[in-house]
Amino acid sequence: MSISQKGAVAQLLIFSAVIAGWLVLFITSGTVFFWLDDTVKMAFYIVAAVGFGLLVLMNAIIAIFARGKKPASDERDKTIWRKASLWATGVSYTFVVVLLLILSIIYMEQGSDVVSVYFPLFIVLIGGVVLVLTQAIAALVYYNRMVSYGEG
Amino acid sequence: MAKVKNRIRRLRFDNNEMTQEKLASLAGCTRQTIIALEQGRYLPSIELAFRIAHAFGVSLEEVFQYEESI
Repeated sequence: MSISQKGAVAQLLIFSAVIAGWLVLFITSGTVFFWLDDTVKMAFYIVAAVGFGLLVLMNAIIAIFARGKKPASDERDKTIWRKASLWATGVSYTFVVVLLLILSIIYMEQGSDVVSVYFPLFIVLIGGVVLVLTQAIAALVYYNRMVSYGEG
Repeated sequence: MAKVKNRIRRLRFDNNEMTQEKLASLAGCTRQTIIALEQGRYLPSIELAFRIAHAFGVSLEEVFQYEESI
């Protein structure tokens, strides 16, 4: 397994943990109306921030320790990550747009009492997590499939 | 449908059983890319193809063959 591939596994684990953290928050807060509670809301942000922080830290560690003689990544890794990024961008963009559309429909039909002002922000935050997760999954799939240089 | 095949594994053994690690080092890529090439899971750039051929001291066509089938 190359360093780049290990990075994809780590990325997948970190953001699966973020999703698991959010699920624990929803369950322990005992309600889906978590945006009403400032403590839970803050915890929601902290879990995501820790995930993104670990992602940055992981990439920094890879950049520092992979400066040896052997290349940490090559043209195949770059091709795979480019293709994975295309998938991730498409999936997360669709995810965010669809959820925002649903939200606007609910807002138009039921009014501002039902739709919290925090919802668009949550959707964008969740969209970021979906982007990172999709990128990691797509990269791991491409590492096991036929790839041609310059694809994607 | 066209297919590009390679003789990297054969050439490694013909070159004093050169390791994948050694070939990767000579060609400037990772060992995982050599593994993917040998398993037919990666089609390299023309530059990497030339570097691999140079690592064996042979021409490009001795390493990579283009096969066209209907």
